[in-house]
Amino acid sequence: MDRAKRLVRRGLGAVRRVVRGVARRGYKRWRRSIQVRIVTSTLCISAIVVAILGAFLMQQVSSALMDGKVKAARLQLDDGLAQVQRDLGNTTTEDGDRLSATADRLKSRSGPSGLYEVYIRDTSEKYFGGYATNELRQESVPRRLREELQHAPTGSRAYTYGRLTYVDGGAPERGLIVGGRTGQFELYYLFPLDEEQRTLTNVGRSMAGVGIVLVLLLAAIASLVTRQVVIPVRLAAQGAQRLAAGRLEERMRVRGEDDLARLARSFNDMAANLQEKIGELEDLSQVQRQFVSDVSHELRTPLTTIRIAADMLYEHRDTFGDPAVGRSAELLQSQLERFESLLADLLEISRHDAGAATLDAESLDMRDLVLRSVGDIQGLAERKGSKVVLQLPGEPCMAEVDRRRVERIMRNLLVNAVEHGEGEDIVVSVGADRDAVAVAVRDHGVGLKAGEGQMVFDRFWRADPARARTTGGTGLGLSISREDAQLHGGWLQAWGEPGAGSQFRLSLPRVAGAELRGSPLPLVPPGAGDARPLFAELEAGE
Amino acid sequence: MTRTLNRTRNRSRAAHPTPPRAPRARHARRVRPALAAAAALTLCAAGCANVPSGGQVITGRPAERAERVDDPYVRLIPVPPRPSWGPEEIVSGFLAASASFDDDHKVAKQYLDVQNSWKPGMRPYVTVLQNRILDPHVVKSSGGEATVRVTGTQLGTISTDGQYTAAPKDLEATFQLARTPQGTWRITNLPGEEKSGLLLTKDDVQRAMHTVNLYFFAPDQRTLVPNGIFLPVVNRETLSARLVRALLAGPTSWLHGAVESAFPEGTGLRGVSIDKDVAVVDLTRQARGGSVERMSAQLAWTLRQMSEIKQFRLRIDGETTAPAGMDATQPVGGWAGNSPDGQNPSQLANQNAYVAGPSRFLGTLAGDHAQPVVTGAAGRLSHPVVAPDYRELAGLNDKGDQVFTAAPVTGAPGVRPLLTAHRGARFTAPSWSRDGTLWTVESKADESWLWVRPRGERPVLAAHWGLGGRQVLAFRVARDSVRAAVIVKLDNRPQVQIGRIAHAQDGSLDVGSFLPVSSEMEDAIDLAWRDYQTFAILGRAKHDSRSLPYLMPVSGAPISSLGVGALGEPRTIAAAPGAPVLIGTRSAEKDSVCRQRTADKSYSEWICPTAAKDPSYPG
Repeated sequence: MDRAKRLVRRGLGAVRRVVRGVARRGYKRWRRSIQVRIVTSTLCISAIVVAILGAFLMQQVSSALMDGKVKAARLQLDDGLAQVQRDLGNTTTEDGDRLSATADRLKSRSGPSGLYEVYIRDTSEKYFGGYATNELRQESVPRRLREELQHAPTGSRAYTYGRLTYVDGGAPERGLIVGGRTGQFELYYLFPLDEEQRTLTNVGRSMAGVGIVLVLLLAAIASLVTRQVVIPVRLAAQGAQRLAAGRLEERMRVRGEDDLARLARSFNDMAANLQEKIGELEDLSQVQRQFVSDVSHELRTPLTTIRIAADMLYEHRDTFGDPAVGRSAELLQSQLERFESLLADLLEISRHDAGAATLDAESLDMRDLVLRSVGDIQGLAERKGSKVVLQLPGEPCMAEVDRRRVERIMRNLLVNAVEHGEGEDIVVSVGADRDAVAVAVRDHGVGLKAGEGQMVFDRFWRADPARARTTGGTGLGLSISREDAQLHGGWLQAWGEPGAGSQFRLSLPRVAGAELRGSPLPLVPPGAGDARPLFAELEAGE
Repeated sequence: MTRTLNRTRNRSRAAHPTPPRAPRARHARRVRPALAAAAALTLCAAGCANVPSGGQVITGRPAERAERVDDPYVRLIPVPPRPSWGPEEIVSGFLAASASFDDDHKVAKQYLDVQNSWKPGMRPYVTVLQNRILDPHVVKSSGGEATVRVTGTQLGTISTDGQYTAAPKDLEATFQLARTPQGTWRITNLPGEEKSGLLLTKDDVQRAMHTVNLYFFAPDQRTLVPNGIFLPVVNRETLSARLVRALLAGPTSWLHGAVESAFPEGTGLRGVSIDKDVAVVDLTRQARGGSVERMSAQLAWTLRQMSEIKQFRLRIDGETTAPAGMDATQPVGGWAGNSPDGQNPSQLANQNAYVAGPSRFLGTLAGDHAQPVVTGAAGRLSHPVVAPDYRELAGLNDKGDQVFTAAPVTGAPGVRPLLTAHRGARFTAPSWSRDGTLWTVESKADESWLWVRPRGERPVLAAHWGLGGRQVLAFRVARDSVRAAVIVKLDNRPQVQIGRIAHAQDGSLDVGSFLPVSSEMEDAIDLAWRDYQTFAILGRAKHDSRSLPYLMPVSGAPISSLGVGALGEPRTIAAAPGAPVLIGTRSAEKDSVCRQRTADKSYSEWICPTAAKDPSYPG
């Protein structure tokens, strides 16, 4: 019993699941396809219209049938009443026998093969309730009709609908009952309506069939028409998608001269223009990059000569009599160093732009790397009055990275932190999980304004435009760092809040080139500002 | 017409386009079929919505118009007793209500005391009265009891097997009534020995009961004999079952011993179901002992009286049984070979009538002329009748006191005297039965004898003759050889009666059980069997001043007059199934044979084109 119940429940559950699945799929299709939507609405609307029309038509047919029947019945009744009047006149003797003879004459067209049944009654007769033809029960004449006739003046006729019952136990059937009174006699004709009912049923069935076919036909037409419109639209959507994905040579097929063909042609024109413009821009940027690279290279050779000369001047600065000249030599030396690093950075970034940068990956412990980088800037930090706090995990954080590039990133981040740290503590933390390692550098300086988290990585961007270009780095450091991180398949992100300082996080996959899904460290340092980051976690490279 | 011409012209232009017009023409050609299709569709749609106003002629055969058992009928609607009615009213109401068979006399039973076990059922015993009883009167009344007497004229009785027996007499019956504790009168005791009998008027019986025929086999084992019974027709649903049950119960007392039933003793009915027009008759297993063919023939002839049954299937104990070489579903119109009218109805239809020609010859009637067949002494016989097998003929002499036979029925055969009457007696016109037996009645004013001459034997007197003390004017054996119709003088009034020929155990003939057929005839001269259920009769109905031809159903249904016009003094009548009725008349000392101008119309006028007398059909 329980098992059966369980089985049933399971079956019901399965059915419910299937139904829900179908419904969900149907809804999804409905949402996604114009065709489905149009066909469905056509189906619904046409079904409603056809149903209303059908009901109206049925009403018309039925009332026409009934009108005809009633008319014929009243004529029959008039005929019968005339016969009764003729036969029975106003004699009163032997009414029973005469009534019987009259009923005999009236019966001729009654019965199962006939059209009607007859019930005749002499209201003055005490011992029997008149005569009925065939199996008709006298109860078939409704009381309301009899009462109506009783109170009506003689010669009046009335009709109503009722149920005809029979003595042989045959099923009662609907019927039209007309009655009239002449003198003391009441005459009723009872017309079974089963023939009419059958006709109506037949008409109704055929109309339902025609309606269904009509609705389906309309739906099919709607489907066909929408298909003709939707398919080119779909093709256009696919083409646009491919175009967006970068396949600029994508074109639509043009057929005919209609609106859709015009759409296709406009699309193709647009695609061609876009392709042309993008090509031009690419060429332009290529030329520019090449130019920068060439300029950097060409500048190198004279710079080396200048450098040698400047070094010599610097070494002999004490020998110049005028201290102003010595000072100029010192200035020349420092600016030359700056120029050199700028040139190196330019070369590096032009290498990245040209796609010439390669990854020279080896497996390293990120902790060692961080320690060495921190050691390198320890002196600078002390000069600035900042203390570097390290938060390193106990176990090794091995990752395949390019040492030179990661060190460059670390140096960039740390120098930035020291320079903007305003003498506050700098926290460097390392984190690792199964797929990735991360290094976060936190300072407590002026922080970043909203939107600056992205701009910091722009080339030659400066937090404070008023600050002289003489201080700080080249303005390309973070850009290069970001390019380096991306070369690893990693992210370099920045967070900052005015007054609360900023944090830079470097996340790298443990295996070089693997896709990065998340970072082991939070971008927003715990306890900083509100929990809601000022800008969404942005993925580098997107 | 002009439009058609125009279109033709247009088309020809389109078909041979001039060069600059070519594109338009092509366009037109593409559009035109679409327009034409649209127009055709519109026309079709418009046509569909209309009743046809023309078209081909559809022929159909007329529905068979024979009197059916289940023709429309009229039922009396009874009223239940009213509390205020006195004893006389209760009796009147009861008599009226008992004419209604609805729901097994449910309403009539309300007039009875609860202890009364009156149960007329569907095969009741009925006393038939001439008129409605109008004068019930209380003869004795004491407190809570009353005796009511009714008087009327009884016509006859219908026994429980449906057999009507005429028994005219004055009827006097008394009802005992008692007052119930509620103060209403109820009948406690009914009159008559048959405590479940009904007292119905002639009209009631005609309305509530129909005569139906049951068919049984004649002793020749081939011909079926109809056995008319009265059956209440209150309920069509059960009518077929009741009909078959009556058939299984065997012939009524009237035909008992004269006919045989193919159903073995004790065969019962398990049920009759009707599906569309196929009746399935399911018999109990006792029927296995009977011949399927003969049972089917009886059922077919009995069931064909119901209009809704066109075919039937015989089942025995639920198992469908088919006669040898036939389908299990048999048409009710089958088994024509067992017709009561003889074995071959198609041959009967075109048989020739014989007449006694004006110049003393026996001739056949070819058109309106008598064609001589037999001349000489045999041609001079009066009332000549040819045997059904055409091997012999019989006739009387002019005085009618001698019977002669002659053979063969051609040329000038010699006559052989067969019988000579007693002094003062005369013979009726001879009558042949199928097997070549010759029958004739010798009759005086108060005595009669039936002579029977089987073929090749000496004539003998029938051992039992039911009308021995009466004068018989005509004697005709039916084609089934079992029934015989007579015109017999009762109280100086000729009456048509029908009797039956039975063979007693010892082989002796019993011709008797004569019953009056109809009370509508005042006088009768001659009669003939038109078919197995109708007589053609010469006689006077009530209010007639002279004798006229009538058709009289054997069942006792109302007679109908045949033809219109003067006939002179009609003397003999001849009839056969499907053949015109012929009448021999005498007017202005001239004999002539009359027929109807159109034989198949009962109101067609009589014409007498043939100068001859004594027409007859073989048999």
